[in-house]
Amino acid sequence: MREIKTVTILGANGAMGSGSAGVIAAFGGAKVHMLARDVEKAKQGIEAAVASVKTDTIRARMIPGSYDADLEKAVAESDWVFELVAESYEVKEPINTRIAKARRPGTIVSTVSSGLSIGRLAKAYDEDGQKHYYGTHFFNPPYKMILCELVTHSGNDKKVTQALGEYLEKVLGRAVVYTNDTPAFAGNRIGFQLMNEVAHFAEKYADKGGIALMDEIMSGYTGRAMGPLATADFVGLDVHKAIVDNIYDNTKDEAHETFKLPGYFQKLIDAGKLGMKSGGGLTKVVKHPDGKREKFVYNIKTGEYDPYPKFDIPFIKEARQKIKDSDYKGAMDVVKNASGFEAEIARYFISRYISYSLSLVGEVVDTKENTDGAMGFGFNWVPASAFVDFLGGPKETIKLMEASKIPVPKLLKDAKEGKKFYELGDKLDARSLFKG
Amino acid sequence: MSEKVFVLGGEQTDFQRNWTKEGKTFMSMMREVLDDALEKVGISYDEIKRLNKENRVAVFVGNFDAEQYANQGHLGAFLTEVNPALFGVPGARYEAACASGSVALDAAITHIRAEDYDLAIVLGVEVMKTVSSSVGGDFLGTAAYYDKEAKGVQFPFPKLFGKLADVILERYELKEERFMDALAEISRINYANAKRNPKAQTRTWFMNKEHAMARGGANNMAVGGRLCITDCSQVTDGAAVTILASKDYTKEYAKKTGRKIDDIPRVKGWGHRVAPITFEAKKQESVGDKYILPWTRQTVKDAYKRADLDVKNIDVFETHDCFTSSEYAAISAFGISEPGKEHIAIEEGTIDFGGKKPINPSGGLIGVGHPVGASGVRMMLDLYKQVTNTAGDYQVKGAKNGLMLNIGGSATTNFVFILGK
Repeated sequence: MREIKTVTILGANGAMGSGSAGVIAAFGGAKVHMLARDVEKAKQGIEAAVASVKTDTIRARMIPGSYDADLEKAVAESDWVFELVAESYEVKEPINTRIAKARRPGTIVSTVSSGLSIGRLAKAYDEDGQKHYYGTHFFNPPYKMILCELVTHSGNDKKVTQALGEYLEKVLGRAVVYTNDTPAFAGNRIGFQLMNEVAHFAEKYADKGGIALMDEIMSGYTGRAMGPLATADFVGLDVHKAIVDNIYDNTKDEAHETFKLPGYFQKLIDAGKLGMKSGGGLTKVVKHPDGKREKFVYNIKTGEYDPYPKFDIPFIKEARQKIKDSDYKGAMDVVKNASGFEAEIARYFISRYISYSLSLVGEVVDTKENTDGAMGFGFNWVPASAFVDFLGGPKETIKLMEASKIPVPKLLKDAKEGKKFYELGDKLDARSLFKG
Repeated sequence: MSEKVFVLGGEQTDFQRNWTKEGKTFMSMMREVLDDALEKVGISYDEIKRLNKENRVAVFVGNFDAEQYANQGHLGAFLTEVNPALFGVPGARYEAACASGSVALDAAITHIRAEDYDLAIVLGVEVMKTVSSSVGGDFLGTAAYYDKEAKGVQFPFPKLFGKLADVILERYELKEERFMDALAEISRINYANAKRNPKAQTRTWFMNKEHAMARGGANNMAVGGRLCITDCSQVTDGAAVTILASKDYTKEYAKKTGRKIDDIPRVKGWGHRVAPITFEAKKQESVGDKYILPWTRQTVKDAYKRADLDVKNIDVFETHDCFTSSEYAAISAFGISEPGKEHIAIEEGTIDFGGKKPINPSGGLIGVGHPVGASGVRMMLDLYKQVTNTAGDYQVKGAKNGLMLNIGGSATTNFVFILGK
């Protein structure tokens, strides 16, 4: 097992920086240099780290510092430098140049990024540095969301990758998913495909219920705690745009067109309506003088906010009841057999999600367990392979895909009938991700 | 005794799950765990139908307090909701506070021993995340003498087991620092063990010795005298099933599944004793006794006697560590150490995962979580896994005999079972 005794965190005051530092200091027992623009911010990061993992015992081994005064000294004595500064080449590249100069041979350097090229960032380093350079994509908040996408590039050494993976898994308690250096990696590529295409459908069916209707169709019975558009509103429409634009510009796959940002998203972003963090976006909550809260949803046609509607869609009700009773296959049978355009949309997106997840095996990840892990641990969505089983196996799933005119991935065509397709087993009980 | 009742296996739910948040109930939990258990053991619902025609199968449901947590009684009848194959199968609910799972096991074992049935499905179940922790704490107070020990008391059980810690310290004239260090070590071991258990509630939680020692303050609050959060098990939602069988059925089963009957573990011994219900009465009664919980010790002795075994024959223990103080007292009750010298066994690593007498390789209640009515059944399932070498990452090497201690109330209802091959 690789020994990591001293770590430098750059971007220690951000939510992800402080949360990751908390995990490293607590689970890893490491001494952590907490670097930010100034020492005061770094000190705030230490308090946030303590609060995130709820143990005062880490405070004594966290050392505040600033980039200007402390970066070189901290990096020189570190076994791992974890860089979490702002998500752009303009900010990350100069800082990597400084790290590269101060770094000892053998020191691991990694970055948190939702989609920048790890190979390009690694170019700031000499051969040993490139060998030890990774993407370690943690999810927020790191103590609760245990996924870590470990992103490798062509310059890495397999032995170092294995040792780092073991450390992340066994010491830091992460669910490690190995991904290649491709735009947005695995979790966000799959997650934002679905979210963005659902957003397009909301526009297409704006007259029938738009945003609220799509989230109802894609609600808990389809294996997620939060609707895809509620998720976009939660992460922020600006962040959503940055991710889908990056994928759109840098990939060319079967779902390419679905990554185009919908016009109304841009309109909302231009108006500063970025989602929950800015007090409103696709939805907003208004607090009335009597203390009652009322939820509104953006009307794509009128540009106004309407009261959030309630829906009464019989097949969804029926499927939810089955999930409530832990009859998951029964719920999927309801979805398979229901009629009406809402059921067609549900079938289309379930098919799309499974198809797209599995289609990335070979390009983004080496095995389907990696995409399954990314979606299960990172998004709390039922993984694609588990869906195949709940739908009754590969043949039934292929039927569904063909009916929805969704491409059938080779992995599914080649799958053996009568054998469990989902292989994460006890690691992740996929049933727990359906909501009744 | 040891040739009468066999254990064929079972399954538990993931104790990290919050079923209310998932929009599911105790009922969905029963359905999932029974389906999983039967699949794992390799018994179909058709087989149950067949046995039921001949009145050879029964179900035993352990549950503490569904009335308050889920507004539902009569849980023994609820397996009929799981599958129509269970229509007509005799079934009832058994309750003895945190030992509810064990009283259900005891009933099942007794019926099989009496040759009433050939197959017994024992299912322990509790949903607890339906209410806030303070409301749940009050519900749990009914496992003590509510009027005298729990009414108006916030979190009564940590306080009762905090008193046990006080008595241990005073009676054995221990140095406080050494004693508290030993309790912290119990915490550390249970959390560390739980990390290897994929169904444990705390498998992703942070805990180490340093944190367990840092008692007091907002991050490790005192909740019961000397005991802080890290000294407590935490309640959760969960269910567990173990399936017991007569020798005749086990022979049929072994043949069908291609196993040898000698490889299937059997219940070798049991003990069941009830101590005075209030903690004060327990304390008074034990004055002058070597053991602070003499009835717990007696239960263990009864089980050893019935099994014709002793501590030297037991390779693995699952104990009721509702609090670190209860596991501490159990060490001498098992005979691992002399009473008053439990801390030495802890310091020497005897009860650690790789020690001579490992306790709670699963993580115990502190690590796995404590869905009250399910805990006893979960312990039996863990003994099964250990003695059949199927515990995966938390397997104790070469375990042949295992012992479980499950207690209800403040060590009031005591149940011990010994399982081995």
